[in-house]
Parts: sequence; C-alpha cells; structure tokens
Amino acid sequence: MCNDFVTPENWAFTSSTHWPSLKSMPKCRFLDVRITGLVTCVPPHEKCIDDELELFGGNMQQLKRLKKTIGLHKRRVVDADTTAADLCEQAARRLIEETAVELAQIDAVICVTQTPDYSQPCNAAVLHGRLGLLKDCAALDVNLGCSGYVYGLWLAHTMIASGGCERVLLLAGDTISRLVHAKDRAVAPLFGDGGSATLIERSAGAPAAFFSLQTDGSGYDKLMVPAGGARQPCSAATSLVAEDAAGNIRSPENLFMDGAEIFNFSITEEPKSVTELLEYASVEAGAVDFYVFHQANRYILGNIAKRLKLDPAKVPMETVERFGNQSSASIPSAICGELSATLAGCDSAQMLLSGFGVGLSWASALVEFRDLSVCELIDYTS
Amino acid sequence: MELDTFIKHFEDAVEDLESGILTPETSFKDLKSWDSLAVLTVTDAMDMEYAVTLRKADFESAATVVQLFEIVQSKLTK
Repeated sequence: MCNDFVTPENWAFTSSTHWPSLKSMPKCRFLDVRITGLVTCVPPHEKCIDDELELFGGNMQQLKRLKKTIGLHKRRVVDADTTAADLCEQAARRLIEETAVELAQIDAVICVTQTPDYSQPCNAAVLHGRLGLLKDCAALDVNLGCSGYVYGLWLAHTMIASGGCERVLLLAGDTISRLVHAKDRAVAPLFGDGGSATLIERSAGAPAAFFSLQTDGSGYDKLMVPAGGARQPCSAATSLVAEDAAGNIRSPENLFMDGAEIFNFSITEEPKSVTELLEYASVEAGAVDFYVFHQANRYILGNIAKRLKLDPAKVPMETVERFGNQSSASIPSAICGELSATLAGCDSAQMLLSGFGVGLSWASALVEFRDLSVCELIDYTS
Repeated sequence: MELDTFIKHFEDAVEDLESGILTPETSFKDLKSWDSLAVLTVTDAMDMEYAVTLRKADFESAATVVQLFEIVQSKLTK
C-alpha cells in the first residue's frame, strides 16, 4: 500500500457544487476507478426442496406454493469442512490468474462476511496469508450480509479515490446454510453458500460510479443470530432448540428471520433507494442495462422489479433458484452466473447493483462494466 | 375503499383460494391455505392496491376478513 495519501483531483462527494447535496443519506460518486474482473465460487453439493417434503409436514400443496410463488428450488451448500474463506480463496486464485494481476500490485484486501473462520483474527488477514500477499497491503473485514457486496465496492472505490490504493481485492462470501436450523422452514430452504472475488483498480478515464448507502438499525432484530457474540455468548442454554408459534424449530445460535418484516422492508426501501440513486446520477431508468439485486428470493425480486416498472429481462432472478440466497455473494453470483456471456459480448454495460438485508442495511451502486478480464462462476474443489 | 373490492384483492392474493369462498366474517386464519406465504402475498396486495403497510401485529389482532379490512381502512385515513 503506497504512502501517498494526497487526494486526487478527480474525487467527488455530495458536497460538490456539481452534484445535488442529499443530506438525508450518504451518496457519492467516483471517477477513474473501475472493476476489472470478478469470479464467484459455489460449493458443488446441491440440495433440492423437492427432497424436503418432510420439512413441510408432508404438505405437498404448501411446498408447491412455495416453489411457484417464492421460487424456492435448489441451493448449493458447503460441507462441514468448508468455510466462506475457502470459497473466497478459490475465487481469488482464479481472479488473480485470469486478470494476471501481480500479488505485489494488490494494496488492500477487504473481506465481507458474517461467517468468518474465527471471531479473531479477521478473514481478510487469514486470506492475505493464504494468498501470499505482500506485507505492504491493508486487510480488513466488513461485517455485513446481503448489502455487503455493494458496501465493499464502495469501500474499495473510496480507498482508491483517496489515493491510498491502486488496486483492491474485494472478497465477499458467506456460508449461511451453516447457521440455519434444518427444521426452520422460514430459513432452511432459502439459504445457500458462495464466495466471490472482485478486483477494483484505478483506471484513468473510467466512467463515474455512483453509490448510496443506508441503514435502519432499529430493525436489527428482524434478521439475526442472537447468540454467539459478546451480548449472549454460546452456552448450554443457547444450544437448546425450541419450537415457535409457527412450528419452526431453532436455537438462539441459529439464524432467525422475521419474514414479513423483511419483506416489508425490502419492498419499501429498495425501490426508493434505486430511484433516488438514478436521480442523483441523472441516469434514466431505461439507460441501465442490468439491475442486479441481492438474490433474496424470486418473490421479492419480482416485487421490486414490478414496483420500479423494470423490464424483467434486465433483472437476473434465476440465481436464487439455482444456488439459494447466498448473502454477500449473491450479487456477484448473479453477475457471473447469468450475465457473463452477455457482458463478454458487449463493449460496456451500465449496471445497477443493489443489496439489502441484515442490519437492516441496504446499498445501491451504479457502475459501468467495461473490458472485464474475467466474469466467471466456478465450482469449489476441495 | 369498498369491502367487496377488498375481499376480491384478498382472494386474489391467497393461492389456491376459490373465488366467492370469503365472506366478511370468515376467520381467514382457519383457511387451509393460510400460512406465512399468504401473509406475504396479502401484505403485498394491500401495499400495491392501497399503499398500506400491514405489520405482523395487524394480522395477529384481526380474526376475520372484515376486521383486517377495518385495519387497512384505518391506516388509509391516517
């Protein structure tokens, strides 16, 4: 990481007289920074809701409704020996190989995850060592989930625009399947796993990238793992499972989701966030080539698209049915899994990326993809 | 906001519900197809049709279709 922190002339934030000042939320734009390539790694083991009729008390009608309406189908999950760091490492190795970036050129590694290998040290440091990066390289984790990929991109852009970095390696991945209780219908059939690696670098003449970041911490308990942190350490008591009013079984060490509240949050905040970012960037909705939302489930995706009156062909939605909700890896997974051929065949593409979830936290980015060295989805091999 | 229209939207929102089966006094939670998915789809329908956000507590406090109608109506007038 270079020591020259002189602010480049090209940086710009909302305080700029050329851009509207929106005091209600942080919005910013960056110039001369671009995404060079991205790779997503998924575990090979596949689960299918058709094999889980027992979870729904043998109610085939309910299972069919969930498949049809929510879009639950298949998901890829890790085995007990594989972590998000493993998936991210394999994605990073492929990315480094395909972009031909030298390890010495990477000034920082950011790891976005809520399923790190250890409570200490952070995954970024562990992966820094495993990838053999140089000592002149910052490494830090970001503890965010479904909004985390966009937050990670924003942080990488910020680090480059500040003058501190030339190239940032962003790793975003989670293994939420290991946090859900198998008998919790509200979450067990939803979540899959994935890890991603994205290279972001300074690039003179790169078009502007726009970001907005938002939080509603009053909803922190709507999607959470109550036990396992300092507030409620794991104990014999926290490992005990209980059945809730809806018949779902979990312990405080498992992921809890208030589905109705998360749904309300998604359909209320997401369309607003996207609309406001487009206004800020002065870009017409129709000028965006693809809207890549966090792959929560097809129902939420369809709803957001409907409320924004988007052309469904511009909104990837198949990823969640193939791989499940992959938390911080879902946006790169949708790009690599559904759009790589299209992106390879065009000079550039205007992409609106938007993640929302645990926090409650949401973030949107409007970025142009141009000349990607790699955009690939790979299977994890142990 | 008319009760008949509200019932139609409710019917349309819940999968596998035959048309005409609902009355104002129907205990909707006793319907065979009433589950957490139906909560989502009805919430969605009310938001789309009336721009009203229903919360978990609203579903908990209403027992019949007309009681849910009254909750939506009260939110409309706020």
